[in-house]
Amino acid sequence: MDRSARETLATRLLNVAGEGQLEAVVHDEAVALTRFTQNAIHQNLAERDTSVRVRAIVDGRTGVAVTNDLSDASLRAVVERARAVAAFAPREVDAAGLAVNAEPAAPPRAFVAATADASPADRARIAADAIGAVERAGLWAAGFVTTSRSGLTIANSSGTLVSFDGTDSGLNVKANGPDASGFAERYSGDVAALDGNALGALAAQKAVSGAHPAAVEPGPWTVILEPAAFGELLSHLTEHFSAQAFDEGSSFLCDGLDRAYMGPSVTLADDFAHPLFAGRPFDFEGYPTRQLPLIANGVAKHVVTDATWAKKLGLPNTGHGLPAPSASGPEPEHIVVSGGEKTLDQLIAETGHGLLITRFWYIRSVDQRKTIVTGMTRDGTFEIRDGRLAGAVRNLRFNQSILEALNHVEFSSTQQRTAGYSYNIVTPAAKIENFHFTSTTDF
Amino acid sequence: MLSFDAAAARALDTAAASGATYADIRFEDGRSERIEVRNGVLATLSDATSLGYGIRAFYDGAWGFAASSDLSDAGLDATAAQAVAIAKAGAAVAARRFAEAPTDRHVDEFATPVARDPASVPLGERVALLLEAERALRTTPQVRAGRAWIDLWRTDKSFYSTIGSRIVQRIYQTGSGISALAVGADDAQDRTYPGDVGLYQTGGWEIVEAAALTENAQRIGEEATALLTAPQCPAGELDVVLGSSQVSLQIHESCGHAAELDRVMGWEANFSGTSFLDPAQLGTLRYGSDRVSIGIDNLMPRGLASVAYDDEGARSVRSDIVRDGLLVGFEMSRDTARTIGRETNACVRASSWRSVPMVRMCNLSLAPGDVPFEALFDGIAHGIYMESNRSWSIDDHRLNFQFGCQIGWEIVNGKRTRLVKNPTYAGVTPQFWNACDAIADAGSWVAWGTPNCGKGEPMQTGRTTQGAAPARFRKVRVGVGYDG
Repeated sequence: MDRSARETLATRLLNVAGEGQLEAVVHDEAVALTRFTQNAIHQNLAERDTSVRVRAIVDGRTGVAVTNDLSDASLRAVVERARAVAAFAPREVDAAGLAVNAEPAAPPRAFVAATADASPADRARIAADAIGAVERAGLWAAGFVTTSRSGLTIANSSGTLVSFDGTDSGLNVKANGPDASGFAERYSGDVAALDGNALGALAAQKAVSGAHPAAVEPGPWTVILEPAAFGELLSHLTEHFSAQAFDEGSSFLCDGLDRAYMGPSVTLADDFAHPLFAGRPFDFEGYPTRQLPLIANGVAKHVVTDATWAKKLGLPNTGHGLPAPSASGPEPEHIVVSGGEKTLDQLIAETGHGLLITRFWYIRSVDQRKTIVTGMTRDGTFEIRDGRLAGAVRNLRFNQSILEALNHVEFSSTQQRTAGYSYNIVTPAAKIENFHFTSTTDF
Repeated sequence: MLSFDAAAARALDTAAASGATYADIRFEDGRSERIEVRNGVLATLSDATSLGYGIRAFYDGAWGFAASSDLSDAGLDATAAQAVAIAKAGAAVAARRFAEAPTDRHVDEFATPVARDPASVPLGERVALLLEAERALRTTPQVRAGRAWIDLWRTDKSFYSTIGSRIVQRIYQTGSGISALAVGADDAQDRTYPGDVGLYQTGGWEIVEAAALTENAQRIGEEATALLTAPQCPAGELDVVLGSSQVSLQIHESCGHAAELDRVMGWEANFSGTSFLDPAQLGTLRYGSDRVSIGIDNLMPRGLASVAYDDEGARSVRSDIVRDGLLVGFEMSRDTARTIGRETNACVRASSWRSVPMVRMCNLSLAPGDVPFEALFDGIAHGIYMESNRSWSIDDHRLNFQFGCQIGWEIVNGKRTRLVKNPTYAGVTPQFWNACDAIADAGSWVAWGTPNCGKGEPMQTGRTTQGAAPARFRKVRVGVGYDG
C-alpha cells in the first residue's frame, strides 16, 4: 500500500464520527526471507500485511484497538472498539496529548526501489553466491537473505499527518566445518550492497582459520570484539537510556546526567539518519525523532523520551515513543558508536596477548543495575600472541559488567551495521581490557 | 466462526494450476486483548484482531511459503502463485531435497475446553482486578514500579490441503501476572508472580482466577524489598533445589531446544544454533539420571500448545523424549522425522498466519517424582533453594548454561533458612540432569506456559508449556557472575 493510500485510509479512520480525540497508525509491511542450510534453501517465504491501530482518548481515558481487516465495516468497528475500551480506563488527569507536527524529512535513500521489488529469484541468486563461496572452501553454509519494505502513516485529530517509506535488506552467512564455524553479515537499505560471494568467502575464511580450536583458560583477557560481537553486547545497555528506566531506578544512569560513567573514548548517539540506517524520522506517536548524543566522551548527556515521559520529567520530547500508550517506555532504536583512530589490524598488532572475537550468543542480563551480563562466544574466536593471530580457541562464557568494559575500551576506525533480535547498531570493533571469562566448552 | 471453504478451494486450485504438486493453506482469525497496569496507570488497554492466511506450496522437493491478509479472489490467487514461485526459486538452487509431500488426510474439528469464556467477563471487571493487584504490590516505598497484566488470546485456525484435509480449531490461551521492582541505594531487585512471566495456559478466565494475583501481591512486593538488604547468595559447589518454574525454564532451554530435530539437522545453525544431540544417540545417551523422564503431550489439559492438529495438519500425539534418563526421541515435523526413519510427533507451529510453520517443543514436560516438596531439602548440608528465573543463557549447542533466579534461600542441615539475593548457577546439560536425584510429586507440579519462546528467521514468538515440579540437583556450581 503506497503512501497516498495509507494517508487516505488514516483520514477515513479519523472521520468516523464520535467523541474524543483519535490517532490512526497505518502500517504496511512486506517481508521476504530465503533461508539456507547445508548448501541448499530450506525455508523460503514472503509475508504481507497492512494493519491499522486506533488510539482513542475520550475524557482523559485512553483505549486502543487494532485490525488488519480494511473493510468499511471493520474500520468503523475498530474506532468504536477503541472508544468502547477507553470507557473502562481510569481517567488520567495529567496525560500527554496527541502530537501536533509537520512531517520531518526522511534521510536520503531510505527507500530503494530495487530492494522493494526484489524477487524470489533475486534472493535465491544471492544465496547461491554465498553458498558457492562456502562450498568451494569445503564447508557447508547456513544463513539467510532478506528484503523488506515498510510504510508507516500516522494521523491524528490534532492535525498531524506524517508518512515514511523505507526498505531494508540483509545477508547472514555462517560457514560450518567439522570443528569450527565462521560468520559474516551485511545489512543495507539497498539490496545491491549484498555481495554473496564476498560474505560467503569471509565466513569461510573464518571457519578455515578456526579449525582445530585449542582450549584456553577462563579468566581476565584482553579482547577485541568485532562489530557483531560488540553490537550485541552494547544492545543490553540501550534500555538504560530510556527515561522510564532512568526515573524508576533500573538504569545505571540513575545517579544523574552530565556525569562520567565510561571512559573518554566512548561516544554514543541515537541517530536515525546515519547513512547505514536511513531510518524513520518520527516516532510511533508522530513526533519528530531527534538525533541525540547519549554519551559524549564518557559523559551521559541525554535519555530518550516520548510524550508521556517528557511531560512527566519536564524534559524535551526526543521522539522515541513506541505505539502509545506503552508500558515499556521510550527506546533508542538507532545507536551509533563513534569510531577511533586505528584500524582493526592495528588494534590486533598492538595486542600482546588476547582474543579476537567474531560474535557473541545469548547474552542475558545477570544484574540490571550493575550492567553485568553473561553470554557465549561463537563462530570464530582466535588467540592473539605478540600482535598476530595465533590460532583458534574453543568457545568461552563470560560474565562482565558492560560499564566496566567501557571504562577500558579503544575503538577501531571503521563502523559497520550489525543487527539481531530487537537491536540494530552501527559500531566499530572494540578492544577491551580485563574482560572476564568464567568457563569454557569443548567445542 | 468464519468459514474459509470457498477461499481455500480457490487458493489451492490456483497453487495446483501454478505447478504445485501439493499445497496447504492455514487461515487464522485471531483476537488478542492485553491489559497492563503500571504504577496505578492503565499503561496498555488494547484489543487487536488479525485475519490472514499462509500458503505452503510444494514443488520438486522444495517448499515455498507466502502469506497475506488480502482475502479477495485476486489476493488469494496472487499469494498462491507467489508461494509456488518461491518454491520453484528454491528448487532451482537446491543441491539436495529436504522435503516430501504429505500423504495423510484429516477432516476434524477441535476447541479448547473453557470453563468461563473470557469474553463474558466485563472489561471493567478485568481492569479492576489488575488495578487492585497492582496497588497491593506497592507495600513499601522501595517498590518503584508495580505491574499487573492480563493477556487473552483466541485463535480460530482453519487448515485445508490439496489432498482433502479440512481441520477447524478454536484455541483459547490466557495469561496473567504481577511484578514489582524495588530500588535501593545501589541495587534494584525484581519479583514476578506466578513464576517468572506469569501463568499462561490454554483455557478461559479460570486461568486468571487460578493465578490469584491479588492474594499474592503483598508478598511479592515485600520480597522484592527484602532482597535489597538480603545477603549475596554464597558461591561454590552446592546442592540446589529449584522451584517448579525454574525447572520449567531448565527443561525449555537445555532439553526442549536441544531436542528440536530441525536444530539437530542444522536448519537453525546460523541463528539459534545446533544441538549437542545426535540421532545416533537415541537409546544410548544417558541424558539424565533415571529419575528424569521428559515427554511431549500436545493434548494435555491447560498446555499452552495443546491442539488436536499441528500447523502442518498432523494429529497430536504423546511421545517420549527422555525416558528414565535415556534419550529416546526428538520434537519433529514430517520432513525432519523422515530423516531418522520416524513419523512426525506433530510438533509444528507457526506464531501467526503470516509465519512459516516450524518445529517447536510444544508441551514438553518433566514427569513428577515421588516425594513431597519439603522432602527435597532432606539430606542437604549446605545448599540453595531458588525460585523464578531472572537470567538465562546457554550456548549454541545447548550445553554450557548459566541461569539466575530472582530469589533464593540458603538451606542448612535440611532446613530452608535465610533469604539470599542474586542466586545463579551454571553447568553442562547432561552432567546437570544426571545430578538430579529427586523430583517433587504431582502435588507441586505445574503446567508452566512460556508465551515468548523465540526461534526462527524472521523471529517467531512461540507458545509452549514445560510442566514441572521442584527438583533437587547435587554439587552444582553456584554464584557465577558474582564470585569475582
